[in-house]
Amino acid sequence: MTLRPPRLLAGRSIAVRLAASSLFWSSLILLAAGVILSALYRQNTERAFDERLLVYANDLAADLVNASDPEQRELGSLGEPRFDIPLSGWYWQLGRLEARPRDVHSSRSLVGNAIPLLAPDTSERRFGQVRKDYASGPESRLLRVIERDIDLGEDGRYVVRVAGPGDEISGAQHRFLAALVATFLLVGAGLGLSTLFQIRFGLKPLSDLGVAVAAVRRGHAHRIDGHYPRDVAPLADELNLLLDANREILERARTQVGNLAHALKTPLSIIVNEAEGASDDVSGRVREQAALMRDQVDYYLNRARAAALAGTLGAVTDLRPVLDALARTFGKIYRDRDLTITVEAPDGLRFRGERQDLEEMAGNLIDNACKWAGETVAITASLEGDGPTLRIAVDDDGPGLSEDARRVAVERGRRLDETKPGSGLGLSIVSDLVANYHGRLDLSASALGGTRAELTLMGDAT
Amino acid sequence: MRLLLVEDDRNLNRQIATALADAGYAVDKAFDGEDGQHLGESEPYDAVILDLGLPGIDGVSMLTNWRRAGRKMPVLILTARDRWSDKVQGFDAGADDYLAKPFHMEELLARIRALLRRATGHATSELVAGTIRLDTRSGRVTVDGLPIKLTSHEYRLLSYLMHHAGRIVSRGELTEHLYDQDFDRDSNTIEVFVGRLRKKLGVDLIQTIRGLGYLIDRPGAAETAK
Repeated sequence: MTLRPPRLLAGRSIAVRLAASSLFWSSLILLAAGVILSALYRQNTERAFDERLLVYANDLAADLVNASDPEQRELGSLGEPRFDIPLSGWYWQLGRLEARPRDVHSSRSLVGNAIPLLAPDTSERRFGQVRKDYASGPESRLLRVIERDIDLGEDGRYVVRVAGPGDEISGAQHRFLAALVATFLLVGAGLGLSTLFQIRFGLKPLSDLGVAVAAVRRGHAHRIDGHYPRDVAPLADELNLLLDANREILERARTQVGNLAHALKTPLSIIVNEAEGASDDVSGRVREQAALMRDQVDYYLNRARAAALAGTLGAVTDLRPVLDALARTFGKIYRDRDLTITVEAPDGLRFRGERQDLEEMAGNLIDNACKWAGETVAITASLEGDGPTLRIAVDDDGPGLSEDARRVAVERGRRLDETKPGSGLGLSIVSDLVANYHGRLDLSASALGGTRAELTLMGDAT
Repeated sequence: MRLLLVEDDRNLNRQIATALADAGYAVDKAFDGEDGQHLGESEPYDAVILDLGLPGIDGVSMLTNWRRAGRKMPVLILTARDRWSDKVQGFDAGADDYLAKPFHMEELLARIRALLRRATGHATSELVAGTIRLDTRSGRVTVDGLPIKLTSHEYRLLSYLMHHAGRIVSRGELTEHLYDQDFDRDSNTIEVFVGRLRKKLGVDLIQTIRGLGYLIDRPGAAETAK
């Protein structure tokens, strides 16, 4: 039998669904078992009680039959003292049918009261039959009554009734129910615990898979490793294939973009060089247009790289080696200037993104700093807060920029038409990349006297 | 000065080679990775201009191989790949300079001059020996401020000796560094050019060290010796 999961559970975790369905079915089964057990117990208790009453009834009947004169008979206490205690709940009554007034003998406990007849209509009586039922007795107490008719022929027809307190049955029933409920609660708790354990144990591979996927997303792993049970293994394999395909497509896109750059820029170089030889109008226009073409190529290449970036999953880059390599490179590029380039970055700091993009962003900032610096360029990186935020600051001791110039420098990066070759600060690429990483680029005055360019990006630490 | 140019685009290769030859360098050309790799390993170049995207062996691997083989000549990478990551990779492989395409020929020539100067330990673009001055930028030579006209072979010889002033340069080394691969090398021609230079610049400038080669004194060395 399948149950449609209630709307309530839509979107909940598998664990919750399993727990809820297990709770539902366990409760249902326990409830049914409880009802059946309680009914069986009641039946048994009643039967035992009735049998006791029947023994008394039979004794009374035997006394009646054996007595020579039923009218004068002295009927005993049946060996049960409670028949003599007034209103004890234990009663008997013996009466003759069809007699007006009826001869009635009662136990002393009745104290003038009567046990109600179970079958008041005489015509329906079948002699020798035993009837049993509950009835309301003296003081409105519930009684369990046994009634038996005896036909003594000429001596008349009699009815024997024996009653016991009904609460003796219901009391036992209640005690049993209490024990039953306690037991079932215990069983239910045990079932619940074992269900929880099973869910955790059974769903472990799934939560492992979740952890593995998260690790890939955060860049701690490239693939989903580990052994998974047969049910989950295909999912893990497919995810790995997807990750590989994603990486491959990205790599291919990057390569193609690089090839395109090469393919376009080499002929451009030739055109520029051919035009350089001459100094007429045509060559001037060729140079101008070639420069424009170069800018366009650069701009769209960067856009293409950025688009490829959007598909990256979980790239993460160790910061320190990148900054060190850049410092080394700039040391070589500006070796005639005797610059001191320092890198201050704690080990284990990481950037959540592609290495090439980090190099591009930091590289352009350091290049600017080196161009303007007097003798010192300081690169510092730090990690802040939860998130966490990565800050990379590049300071120089150059002449610095005015506040207006700083604002324009950052703004212009967003627009192609204003990016002139060589004249800009090379910040257009940085701004584009930073925007792709939802980061920030800020220019401010440096404590060293020049400009401070600061990147705010998503970071990570090992 | 003898240069190696590794560039697979024939037009660009021709343009650069012509410009370099005009500037007075002997130039060997390679159009693919294998050729470039082989030449760079076997010939004594004063500098190399290296394209990165090459058929066969790519530029960075080639450079790495050269450096591993102990070749120390300055290398300028000339490439369309202008991201900082490419540059970092190039410099880490052992490049000395990096120029992105498209470029201006003047820029390339200036970078080459700077590389050569740096490799021979000169701080300025003007080389001085006694009363003789050689401006590597313009290719002009003056004696006592008066310009002297030199043929391209004479200029190359003088430039090489002045770059390596203070060191004896053998005739074999001169042959290797002044002529490109295809040149018909006759060691006698070196003597002919030295003779012509002495005629134009004075007999004392280039000394012949018997059995070893030629020498131009380092400027100021004579004063220090006194």
